[in-house]
Amino acid sequence: MDAPAIETQGLTRRFGDLVAVADVNLSVAPGQFFGFLGPNGAGKSTTIKMLTGLLSASSGRIQILGLDLGRNPVDVKRQIGVVPEGMALFGRLTGAEYLNFVGCMYGLDRETAGKRTAELLDFMQLADQPKTLVTDYSHGMQKKLAMAGAVIHGPRVLFLDEPFEGVDAIASGTLKAMLQRMIARGATIFLTSHVLEIVERLCSHLAIIHRGRLVAQGSLEELRAGVEAQAAAALAGTSPGESAVPAPGEKLTLEEIFLRIVGGTRGAEQELSWLG
Amino acid sequence: MAGLSSSPDMRGQLGAVARVRFQLFVNGLRTIRGRLEVVARGIMFLMFGAAGLGGSFGLGVAAWYFVSHGNVEWIAILLWVVFLFWQLFPLMASAFSENVDSSNLLRFPLSFPSYFLIRLVYGSLDPSTIIGCLWLLGLTIGVGIAQPSLFFWAALVLFVFAIFNVLLARMIFAWIERWLAQRRTREILGAVFFIFIICFQFIGPLMSRYGEHRHPDASRVTAQALPYERALPPGLAAAAIARAVKGAFAPALGAFALESVYALAVLWLLNVRLRAQYTGENLSETAARKTSPKEKNALRLSWNISGVPGPVAAMLEKEVHYLSRSGPMLFTFIMPVVILLIFRLGPAGTSARQSNFLSHAPDLAFPVGAAYALLILTNLVYNCFGADAVGMQFYYVCPVRFREILMGKNLTHALLLACEVVMVWFAVCFMFHPPAVDVTLATVTGVAFALLLNLTAGNLLSIYTPKKIDYGAFGKQRASTATVFASLGIQFAVFGLAAVTLLIARVFGRIWLAAFIFLILAGVAAIAYALVLKRVDRVALDRRDAILAELSRA
Repeated sequence: MDAPAIETQGLTRRFGDLVAVADVNLSVAPGQFFGFLGPNGAGKSTTIKMLTGLLSASSGRIQILGLDLGRNPVDVKRQIGVVPEGMALFGRLTGAEYLNFVGCMYGLDRETAGKRTAELLDFMQLADQPKTLVTDYSHGMQKKLAMAGAVIHGPRVLFLDEPFEGVDAIASGTLKAMLQRMIARGATIFLTSHVLEIVERLCSHLAIIHRGRLVAQGSLEELRAGVEAQAAAALAGTSPGESAVPAPGEKLTLEEIFLRIVGGTRGAEQELSWLG
Repeated sequence: MAGLSSSPDMRGQLGAVARVRFQLFVNGLRTIRGRLEVVARGIMFLMFGAAGLGGSFGLGVAAWYFVSHGNVEWIAILLWVVFLFWQLFPLMASAFSENVDSSNLLRFPLSFPSYFLIRLVYGSLDPSTIIGCLWLLGLTIGVGIAQPSLFFWAALVLFVFAIFNVLLARMIFAWIERWLAQRRTREILGAVFFIFIICFQFIGPLMSRYGEHRHPDASRVTAQALPYERALPPGLAAAAIARAVKGAFAPALGAFALESVYALAVLWLLNVRLRAQYTGENLSETAARKTSPKEKNALRLSWNISGVPGPVAAMLEKEVHYLSRSGPMLFTFIMPVVILLIFRLGPAGTSARQSNFLSHAPDLAFPVGAAYALLILTNLVYNCFGADAVGMQFYYVCPVRFREILMGKNLTHALLLACEVVMVWFAVCFMFHPPAVDVTLATVTGVAFALLLNLTAGNLLSIYTPKKIDYGAFGKQRASTATVFASLGIQFAVFGLAAVTLLIARVFGRIWLAAFIFLILAGVAAIAYALVLKRVDRVALDRRDAILAELSRA
């Protein structure tokens, strides 16, 4: 049996007295498109930073493709691609220079790096402005370039922190097509996103973190079944209008599942009478 | 809609802006950095206060003297001093940093007059305006004491002159803000500023070289410039006062009217700029240039540097790209030659007192130029991750050890220094005479030793005390204070060792001995460099959170 693509045991991160991530045990199988969800400040970015080596863990273990990140950081990093929160771009390079640089840093020879750079720029529709510096790119263009840089070496595991944030529908479509192609070829993708519709459409498996703790993990169906079972068990004590069990033939959306798991309310019922 | 008045109250909006500025000030005190900033500003305030009051007194006395001794036209000189300070000081002080984005204000329902007033009032609360006003007040009082009947006339003329200065300063800033809003124009403006600063350096040497003897053309040029001077606002303000003192009220009124026209013209230009901002001009940095299919599909390969490992070569290429696109940094690299030129243009008398030390001892020109080149480079070496900013994250996620990343950066810096030393050598040959072989050898080995020592310390300090910098903007390339102090200590040690070495060589009367000693010192420094490089991965990993927090901040 293959080792999990990503596995954490007791992963914890403290910032002074604040426990940002507490005892997280994750397991992502190879080939999964894994969505990591949570409300603002839940610990998503902290977790992904620890998984990619951008932040040290206070305690716990991280294994990527069976390799311990702490003990074999270089071997792990050779097999992963990362688009971190800040995108990690070098503003005063052109797109081609950036991708060539990244390719060489990942150990590609210059011919391969050059060829893949041209292909990626073309695929991402960034080839039109070969002399424009990255700092002059729009936000969406920077996101696409960061994504191109993360995949230039053909990683087996891809970590994406909010890849669709600030990206228009066209760019978003390009990125999704590329990610689905990678999944079809056996890569594992771990992404965090606030856009639940995209996560629902792309991801086969999910985990939800809330206040630093992992509160749910599994396939979308497993999460849905769990929420419905909980709702059914609590049905006796509630009025029909408050029931979480959907009507026959209807399925709970990821947004509904998410809100029920993290216990969030939209506050729509609150009165803001002056708002007209 | 309930609670929303039909036209927003200007007073309320001005008050809101004042409150938010105060709140920002108070919130800034939460950090030690913010508190230190307040202390520094307090000290600056006292200094500016002293300059304002002292200058006011001095200018008042001068104005009184000129009026009461029949030299009232000379007030023009005083007004030119005030004018130049008022307009140039803010430019120097701001050092081309990025300004507050005015679009922050534009999203609120501000009328254009409110927007104009806010930009004018809050932009004018700077030291130059306060000092300028104090100086003009002193001038008014000086004129008033000398000739009490003209006090109100002088007050009116100088009040309009003050308004002209306020409007001009805001107009210049509004336009500079426009140019600073885009990277390319910001860099061009920075380059112009730097050329201006370099030209400024030559004034001293040229004055001391030619200033002792009255140049025959100087008086003629001054005479030709006078009519132009009189047609400009400081000259007009002075003329308005001078003519009134002499009882020629019609010309005085004419000069005052022209002065007012200048103020109105500047007001109009300011209005044009602010209205463009108000109506939401588009200053997008995104290039819209279309390229040819050939250019689009061209295969761009990274550099092929034989014998250098791939990641190190990639780092070298990246660093060269970064430096080559930094106008300000490129200008600093020509400074060693500029310094030699300044020395060359200095007084060339025969005695040691009259001449500068390089014309007295030209053999030192090459070592001095090379040492200066090294000093300039330390700014890069001691904060070598500063310009990478958020790109620093990449070094932590890529499969390359920090020692290779640092080797790539160090190689770039070493090559840069080598180029500079060669450039200095040629400059010395051209300006003085070719350095002797033993001096060249001693200098090169000395530089090698100093470079290795600086790289060793620089690699550690770059990790321990990094600071985000911007190669493309002036005033944004300074390392952290801790780094500056540590770097100073190391320079003292390096130059101390170099001085002792040269002293030993001089005692024995053989300069090549210095080269030999420097070679041994360079060997020791190389061992230290290798030892640090061996441990640097561990240190970088231990310091990971702090480095990324500092370099990734907005």
